[in-house]
Amino acid sequence: MLALQTRGLGKTFRVKRKEAGLSGSFRSLWKPNWETKEAVRGIDLTVREGETVAFLGPNGAGKSTTIKMLTGILHPSFGEAEVLGLTPWKERERLAYRIGAVFGQKSQLWYHLPPIDTFELISRIYELQRDEYVRRKDELIERFELGPYLHTPVRKLSLGERMRCEIAASFLHGPRLLFMDEPTIGLDAVVKQRIRELIRERNRVEGTTVFLTSHDAGDVETLCSRAVVIHHGGVLVDEPVERMKREVLSRKIVTLKLTEGADPAALPLIAGTRWETEEEGCRLAVDLKRTTIERVLGELIGRVGFTDVNVEDPPLEEIIKHIYGMKGEAD
Amino acid sequence: MSTADKLMANARYVWTCWKVNLAAMEYRLSFLLLAGMMFVNNAIWLFFWSLFFGRFPVVQGWELHDVMLLWAVSTGGFGWAAMLFGNFPRIAGIVATGHLDVYLSQPRPVLLSVLVSRCSVTAAGDFLFGIAVYLMVGDTSPRGMLLFALGLLISGMLFIAVMVVAGCSAFWIGNAEGMTQQLFNSFIALTTYPSDIFRGFVKLALFSLVPAGFISYLPIGLLRDFDPLFAAGAVTAACGLTLAGALLFRRGLRRYASGNTIAMRS
Repeated sequence: MLALQTRGLGKTFRVKRKEAGLSGSFRSLWKPNWETKEAVRGIDLTVREGETVAFLGPNGAGKSTTIKMLTGILHPSFGEAEVLGLTPWKERERLAYRIGAVFGQKSQLWYHLPPIDTFELISRIYELQRDEYVRRKDELIERFELGPYLHTPVRKLSLGERMRCEIAASFLHGPRLLFMDEPTIGLDAVVKQRIRELIRERNRVEGTTVFLTSHDAGDVETLCSRAVVIHHGGVLVDEPVERMKREVLSRKIVTLKLTEGADPAALPLIAGTRWETEEEGCRLAVDLKRTTIERVLGELIGRVGFTDVNVEDPPLEEIIKHIYGMKGEAD
Repeated sequence: MSTADKLMANARYVWTCWKVNLAAMEYRLSFLLLAGMMFVNNAIWLFFWSLFFGRFPVVQGWELHDVMLLWAVSTGGFGWAAMLFGNFPRIAGIVATGHLDVYLSQPRPVLLSVLVSRCSVTAAGDFLFGIAVYLMVGDTSPRGMLLFALGLLISGMLFIAVMVVAGCSAFWIGNAEGMTQQLFNSFIALTTYPSDIFRGFVKLALFSLVPAGFISYLPIGLLRDFDPLFAAGAVTAACGLTLAGALLFRRGLRRYASGNTIAMRS
């Protein structure tokens, strides 16, 4: 069964263009110059129930706008969409019972209140049966390990703790489809990983469809089975993450903190890698199609003196840029 | 779900929001200070009016007693409106900065959710002031209390409705915060002056464009010399404007453009 389907879904905004400075402001006051900005340009998309889809693209590509149209927050300028069989902007309230939404930069938690009070309010918003609410709340508190700060005002929680509460709150009414707009923004690596595990678990246990945007390659790799890349408001790539990993996510970045006095110029050349020396440390781009992290680290140990080493994915922007490059070549 | 079930569900939701808002008032000293200062502020205004009427005992048929009732109705109405529906003066800002997203993603009427999700602390002082002044100078018979309650209801509804209608302009013109703030201040000021001191076009405007007249004439038309025509007009204006505000907001949501500011519910 389909969780969502869009046909030529698009959104345009009227934007006032103003020249810089005071004179520009006066000119704009008397003779405003409006132009139409196409935020989303006719997206065709189909997501089946139970799928975990990463919706990717650079800033301004139209990811958040698309999610807002699919959740009924924005009315589209053209095109059609059905989410769980409903038209989001026409049947917003009915749809809201069946979906959840997490906006990394917009909180549904009350700032001055402990999360438990917001949970109580959410149980009223979604009209949860009392026993059902208590059961789900207790389960989520246990799985998301919220016990220690459930009664602490939200303003006193760390960002990671708040996001865990935020995501738990969005699962409270058992949504069939969860939209997440950059849920791991600003979090450290450990918290990110924990949040990914928890979302994955909900997908596995309850079959919740997950549709997320992120700028973090780790979110895509760990959480999603399918990736949709958009650019200039249209779909550029739509393929399984496994294939994307083989073709694009085949690079890792190894960052070394050299011991004092070590000469970056004397770094060894290793097959399948490329050095990108920076001021604070040395970055080694590793091509996983040609070598392995284990082999690279093995070669480095003993030949270079370093005090710290970090292995991470290349930034998602870089990956997307690479995809654009590939697409450009193909076209 | 039937309409009655929906109404009951919304009533339970609103009740929980009010309880949550009350729970958020954990800074008791700050609460007492703010509410207390507002009480004192209103009392100072009445003190000035008492000085004025000491010099001119009757102005266009109004006496100090009527002005005190006017303040009771105006501050009391504003007080309950801002305590229970505290976001009504901030609609324009909420719309313009894209803070409706969270409300729109939940299965509740958006305008109602926005209005009940904030409680003005200082308004408690206004409300208590209104009640205290009425108990001092008003008719405390059951009839008098009922009329005063109706006056508070009309006054509060008009405050909310006027600001919702004005706030909806943000859907069409974007940054309407400054304009609506000006209107808010003017509206409050006009509701605290006897309506009969105005004449001609200004008086006409007070009962149409900026319907503060329906509040400022309440002490005479509703409480002192009950005028069924005026009472019916005031009730119609309050209900009509509330309905207009709700419809305009609904219409405006189609034009809502969201935004990318970081937002927390407080």
